[in-house]
Amino acid sequence: MSLLQEERNIILNNEYVDNFDFAEVEEFVKNASKNLFISHNFKTKKKMLVQPRGGFPTYNKMFALYEFFDKAGVDVLPCTIDSNTRLNDYATAQKMLRLSEENEVDMLNGFPLINHGYRTARKMMTHFDKPISLRHGTPDARLLIETAIASGIFEIEGGPITYLLPYSKNFPLDKAFLYWKYVERVCANYSKLNEPINRESFGPLTATLVPPCITIVIQLLEMLLSLEEGVKSFSVSFSQTGSMNQDIVMGAVIRKLAKYYSHEIGVDDADIHLVYHQWMGAFPMDPNFASQLINMSTVIASMVGADKIITKTNQEAAGIPTKEANAETVANTQYTLRILNGLPSVVDKEEEENLTLEVKAIMEAVFNDSADTLWRKVFNSIKNGTIDVPFSPHIINNNEMITIRDAKKNIRIIKRGKVPIPDRCFEYEKRQCDLTKDTTSIVNDIIHDIGIMQ
Amino acid sequence: MKVVTGVVGNDIHVVANRLIDLSLQARGFEVFNLGVNTYLEEFIDAVIETNADILLISSLNGEAEGWCREVKILKSKYGNLLDEVVFMIGGNLVVGTGSADDIVPRFKNYGFDLVFHQVDLNTGLDALEEFMKERNA
Repeated sequence: MSLLQEERNIILNNEYVDNFDFAEVEEFVKNASKNLFISHNFKTKKKMLVQPRGGFPTYNKMFALYEFFDKAGVDVLPCTIDSNTRLNDYATAQKMLRLSEENEVDMLNGFPLINHGYRTARKMMTHFDKPISLRHGTPDARLLIETAIASGIFEIEGGPITYLLPYSKNFPLDKAFLYWKYVERVCANYSKLNEPINRESFGPLTATLVPPCITIVIQLLEMLLSLEEGVKSFSVSFSQTGSMNQDIVMGAVIRKLAKYYSHEIGVDDADIHLVYHQWMGAFPMDPNFASQLINMSTVIASMVGADKIITKTNQEAAGIPTKEANAETVANTQYTLRILNGLPSVVDKEEEENLTLEVKAIMEAVFNDSADTLWRKVFNSIKNGTIDVPFSPHIINNNEMITIRDAKKNIRIIKRGKVPIPDRCFEYEKRQCDLTKDTTSIVNDIIHDIGIMQ
Repeated sequence: MKVVTGVVGNDIHVVANRLIDLSLQARGFEVFNLGVNTYLEEFIDAVIETNADILLISSLNGEAEGWCREVKILKSKYGNLLDEVVFMIGGNLVVGTGSADDIVPRFKNYGFDLVFHQVDLNTGLDALEEFMKERNA
């Protein structure tokens, strides 16, 4: 028996798993409808796929949400997991699920997939014959991913960096890399049976003034870590920056470099997709303004040429949205996409070149780390500040880089910390900003720049 | 002057914490930032270890009161070690809505010298500088 299979046996032999039948699950994946695989939808549907966010604790409420989405013309259904499951606290999730079922009050902010079990969940996940995307935020997602694939969820979001640095203060990063290695391997193995399982990285990170070069570097590294283990379908992603030009530049550079680096490690047979998140920062309270913002995000996603868009709702500022508001966004986004025709092509060569140089310089520094494997190189690079994510709560993050918006609202680096931004690029970034102000005014500007859409 | 700062309890809201760090540095303080999700004992340990003049606790998620009730009891365990340390707290200090007129005296009673409920960051730090100036005059 392989080491991986031994580990799987241990992971799935668990009081919260009712007799995991490996052979039956393999048979299920092998014969599953191709429509359930987003990798297949990317190939066959000639449009930007629309995916909302959402998850409720009980089976019935979750099913009702999917019905609403289905009627609104959704392309990809979300399965957002509750916070207890994300922290591997299945006992609390179980208790809260029972309370939700008995009192018809939602005691969880998502669907506790493991407690429902794959035999039950599969009925719902296959019912609509549409691809489902797993949205979570779990550093140790081994059991969750096994349960998801067994349920018919064939897209797995996340990664060791993007699901840790924005969400945790002290979960060990080295452990996260090893747990995600398991996830990649399981996804790669199932991908051989039918259409490939798609892995998606979470580009928004902290959604707070993250400069494009950091987002792209992390997207590329998670992509490489995944392809290395044999994954054949991967989505890189990022969220709206606040400047349309910067979004378009990012889209162009990330596409080019994803192809370049996958070729560098000798993987030319994997499909790489681009996902765009509608504005992930603080939303306006006024639902009408929020709808305008969402609509604008859709226009930018079209300019970027994204393969999939992940939507928000006009209730974003108020908390967890109702299924009605959620379905409304799906219908509105589909409408906007349908009437958006004859888009101009915008290319900003100078910005593209500057961003490409920055990304390549950081990637080179990561590859030049003396460690023997890629994950260790990446781990060391985060530890020593070569990669620095603004506003990450994690203790391992260097927190030295400072970013601000320029006059055109592009995110610019004004303090690079230990990130090896080439001098020429750093001068270019700083030239766009007014740095004659004192630090207190700059801090006030940062506060303003974070809340730009409110 | 040395300041220990961080976000109390299970609160993970990091943005204001980073801005407090930057602003304090800009005002010439030496900052020891413990970051989000920090327990009261960790704050006190850091204050003693760094020989800090000020402990500046922040909180956004409204859970601060539950944690900060213990401040006096904890202080008493350390004899006179913390007598000279200025205890300051700011942010959104209660769950739901509340008036600063009720909240400020309550937190002062818990053992804080300076309390700021939903006050702009720079206003709070101006008040801190003023307080330190008068105290050291």
